[in-house]
Amino acid sequence: MDNPFDIHDKDSASSGAFLLPTDSEILEGFLCPVCKRDLRTPERLTVHVEHEHSEEQDLLKSLKEIFSIARQGILKGKRKPTQQGGSGGGEGSEPSPPRYGTESGVVVGSAGTANNPLLQPGYNQPVGCTCEHMAYFRAVRGPRLERYAAETNKLIIRLDKLLDGLPVEPDQKKRHEQSKVPWIDGKLVKLCPTCAKSFGITRRQHHCRVCGSVMCDGCSRFLTLEEAGRLVNPTVISPAADGSATEIQPPGPPNESSHFRVCEHCMRLLLVRMEMQDWKRERPLLRQYYEALGRERTDIEPHIGMYRRILDSLYEGDVIYRLSDASTLREKIGRSAEKLDNVSKSLQTLRTAPGSREEALKKAIRLGCISYIKERMLSIPPLPVEEEIKRIQARKRAETERRLERERQLALEAFERLELQSGGGGSSGETGADRQNGSSSSSSTASTAEMTNGRYGAAVSTMDNWSGTQTHGPAAGTTSDPLIDQINIVKGYIRQARAALRFEEVATLERNLGELTQEFYYRQRLDTDTKQSEAP
Amino acid sequence: MNVIRAIQMYIDKMITDAGPGMKILMMDRETISIVSMAFAQSEMLQKEVFLFERLDSVRSNEKLKYLKCIVFIRPTKENIFMLQQELQSPKFGSYYIYFSNIIPRTDIKILAESDEGESVQDFKEIYADYLPVNPNLFSLHIPTCLQALNWNPEALERSTQGLISVLLSFKFRPAIRYRAGSTAAQTLAKKVHETINKETALFSFRPPEDGAAPPLLLILDRRDDPITPLLNQWTYQSMVHELLTINKQRVDLSRVAGVPKDLKEVVLSTEQDEFYANNLYANFGEIATTIKVLMDEFQKKANDQRKIESIADMKNFVETYPQFRKMSGTVTKHLVLISELSVQVGQQQLFEVSELEQEIACRADHSTQLQRVKRLVSEGKISAANALRLVLLYAMRYERHANCDTSGLLKLLQDRGGRSHIVPRMLEYISTVARQELFNTVKITDAVKLTRNLIKELKGVENVYAQHECVLKGTLEEVIKGRPLDAQYPIMGNEVPFRRPPAEVIVFIVGGATYEEALAVHRYNQEGCRIVLGGTTIHNSESFIEEVLAATVGVPFKHSRSLQQFHHAPAGTA
Repeated sequence: MDNPFDIHDKDSASSGAFLLPTDSEILEGFLCPVCKRDLRTPERLTVHVEHEHSEEQDLLKSLKEIFSIARQGILKGKRKPTQQGGSGGGEGSEPSPPRYGTESGVVVGSAGTANNPLLQPGYNQPVGCTCEHMAYFRAVRGPRLERYAAETNKLIIRLDKLLDGLPVEPDQKKRHEQSKVPWIDGKLVKLCPTCAKSFGITRRQHHCRVCGSVMCDGCSRFLTLEEAGRLVNPTVISPAADGSATEIQPPGPPNESSHFRVCEHCMRLLLVRMEMQDWKRERPLLRQYYEALGRERTDIEPHIGMYRRILDSLYEGDVIYRLSDASTLREKIGRSAEKLDNVSKSLQTLRTAPGSREEALKKAIRLGCISYIKERMLSIPPLPVEEEIKRIQARKRAETERRLERERQLALEAFERLELQSGGGGSSGETGADRQNGSSSSSSTASTAEMTNGRYGAAVSTMDNWSGTQTHGPAAGTTSDPLIDQINIVKGYIRQARAALRFEEVATLERNLGELTQEFYYRQRLDTDTKQSEAP
Repeated sequence: MNVIRAIQMYIDKMITDAGPGMKILMMDRETISIVSMAFAQSEMLQKEVFLFERLDSVRSNEKLKYLKCIVFIRPTKENIFMLQQELQSPKFGSYYIYFSNIIPRTDIKILAESDEGESVQDFKEIYADYLPVNPNLFSLHIPTCLQALNWNPEALERSTQGLISVLLSFKFRPAIRYRAGSTAAQTLAKKVHETINKETALFSFRPPEDGAAPPLLLILDRRDDPITPLLNQWTYQSMVHELLTINKQRVDLSRVAGVPKDLKEVVLSTEQDEFYANNLYANFGEIATTIKVLMDEFQKKANDQRKIESIADMKNFVETYPQFRKMSGTVTKHLVLISELSVQVGQQQLFEVSELEQEIACRADHSTQLQRVKRLVSEGKISAANALRLVLLYAMRYERHANCDTSGLLKLLQDRGGRSHIVPRMLEYISTVARQELFNTVKITDAVKLTRNLIKELKGVENVYAQHECVLKGTLEEVIKGRPLDAQYPIMGNEVPFRRPPAEVIVFIVGGATYEEALAVHRYNQEGCRIVLGGTTIHNSESFIEEVLAATVGVPFKHSRSLQQFHHAPAGTA
């Protein structure tokens, strides 16, 4: 282990700062991140934040997210102790509250850093001014849309009535239509309202079947019965009634038996509605492929960052990650690149009309995908050579040993100086003070160990849905020391995390393991010390 | 203060506001250049923007409802009309509309009434309404802005909008100063000032703390410094623009002999080309050395690549390949550019021409200079364009000289087929201020200027090809040092002028800026100043002469009556 005391002190200090940026005492429970009141339950906390701190919208959002994540984590966590059996009967309920505590601590952290633009590194130049007009736009658009929607709905209700028991025979059909929709008296209309030409023998009057108004033949539009049916009942998809049916108009004038004659105004309203319905149903292959690409990319993106971090850490000579970790991760990235390539290739082969917008889109997606693979995935640095890593690690180990040795030397010198100053009589008092010192620090480390216990428990389970299942066997009841149990459990977690390529967790757990082993050695030394001091 | 960054952040904001999913970007003639100068297409692809179309030349009526359409256009009448039609029969699932400038409320209403399919999801003004050329340089791409030495109304409107958008993109509410005596500068200053006062809600930025001076918008006039755009410059960007012409970051090399097929048109962007960004302001000598170093480095790498013996070597090659290819692209591109530049320098005898240009611009020595100009013009070794430039410089400097022989030089020029009619037009174009101050025809009474000139002469010349200093440099010096500006650069409106110098300065030159002036700004910025330069366009000598011709159409000949025989272009030429 590298200098254990150093790491330990730093960590406990930072964990304190993490939980409580300002206060000295440690608070637990459902703390409001703003006013630090303990609200006891997650529901009450959410309500409290909603009412008291309604201006902090993103805080509320992150709070809700955290709770939902925590809930998942805890539900999984609760199952674990029961598996473990009787060994931790009290433990099953006990560890939960500290977990909540750490959760609300996370709230403070996330609200403080993630959403604060000042803390984000990079640009000091702010985004320029913008001016929002959507509110006004909506205010103008809203009433019009409502009126249209109401009008369209009225037309569709009429269509429904018209379709209900529609006779096939033209005369009967006409009578049926007229009985459902009141027609305007033709005598009152002298000119066609659309083209303003006068009616006569050559230009007969026609009625719109859905609104009852009058127009000439030239200004009439025709809605097929099929289309009408789809408008009335959008869930039924007749196999023939796809886009093609609307485009291929029957040659010559559409006949009255299979169509409804409608005016231009009604036709437009109905067409807009039809389009909206079609769009909601539409899920073309291209889009599905594209979504697959997007998923793959969001999956692999964190791994690429992780790979670089692992390499950095390896070159630093740290022992948290192994070379094999890097190589498995690299393989995974390679496989993912292949998959991306394949999906985008099959996207490319989709049939589209030449020169169409869709074809251009297809090409652009493939191009974007290729350049992503090239720039992000194939450009990752190569694996380091094993010997080199070993060399670096050996050098680092030697360095730490040297430093430890030097520190020990310095401490010894200081001690000697002190002894010289206080004379021989003070030596017993000195050891007493030393012992007290040791025990107090040991109790503090014990408490942090407990805290970290809770913390890594949370860390293991909060990370999106992944949770390590506790390995029993060596851990359960073989040793009397809970610390050793804990160490074994953590080791089991690390194995699982590594197998699942969860390197974030590996790093956290390795750190915890370091702390635990350190604590273990410390206690052992303390034991031997006390035994030695008791012996004489 | 980085104009490219400002535009990039705006575009990023547009795209992120539209959320994830496949996107198409719909632009107009001008915004398409703005976007392309900020981002390469490959960068846009990574932002999920896959298609680019122009609102005014829509490809087809094909509907792709699963696409999100980002509309980024200028708020012109035609654009509003076309967008209205687009919304009435929408081709895409949803629309995110961003206007590049202030849009009248009535137009918003018209568009809202057309959106019957409820497809508009966002509607904003973002002020990315200028072309970012360098981090410290923007252009409005108005090739000619004056008619009869007064504003062309459209150009004035566009310039006002451009300046307003620059100010808003930096969140500045500036003090506005303009060059005294220039009506064009004053008119623009007044328009900008009016707009700021009208749009108080937009310009309600917090005033600077501790009573510091507000940012300064300084509006100048090209007519006060007609020399700078006429001189041959020797820095990389200036040379490329002068000899090959940079048009919105693009250089057309199709007329150059022996250019590889994929380099018929090259893009010079400080964002995507590191070599270019580093050597923008390097002079011709330095850049040749730099490209040599780059070549050696490249060759070394290329040699390394050739030694592929084992599988490990191969893997290594593949892994470093993207960087390798990128580098090779850069090297070949700049090599082609630089070799073409040196060919031109040799062919046009530019060293000799430039030396004489600088002499005339900086020193009065009538008889010797006249002899040299005469010799160069008549010998015919230099191009007609360069001969014209020499005569222009001579004519301006010695306009009032007792033995001025402009008409003699013009005859020589005419004999060679040079465009001699431009000279009288230039004499009409330059402002009174330029006439009086530029060549010190009036006795200098300003003690500061007098000593500065003396010091300059005592110090001697470091580089004969870069003796001339643009007027802007002196102007900025006065601004930065906090000297009193009110006499030469009066403030617009009734704001109380600040004693202290401003922390940020935006300079705008009516009639076009030059890359030489961008260099001057760059030097000040390196010393910690925050200055951005802009112009109605970015001139080289050729485009400047076109601007002068356009600006002086129909102007009576006042200053050049003695050159009457040269007033009109010979038949058959422009």
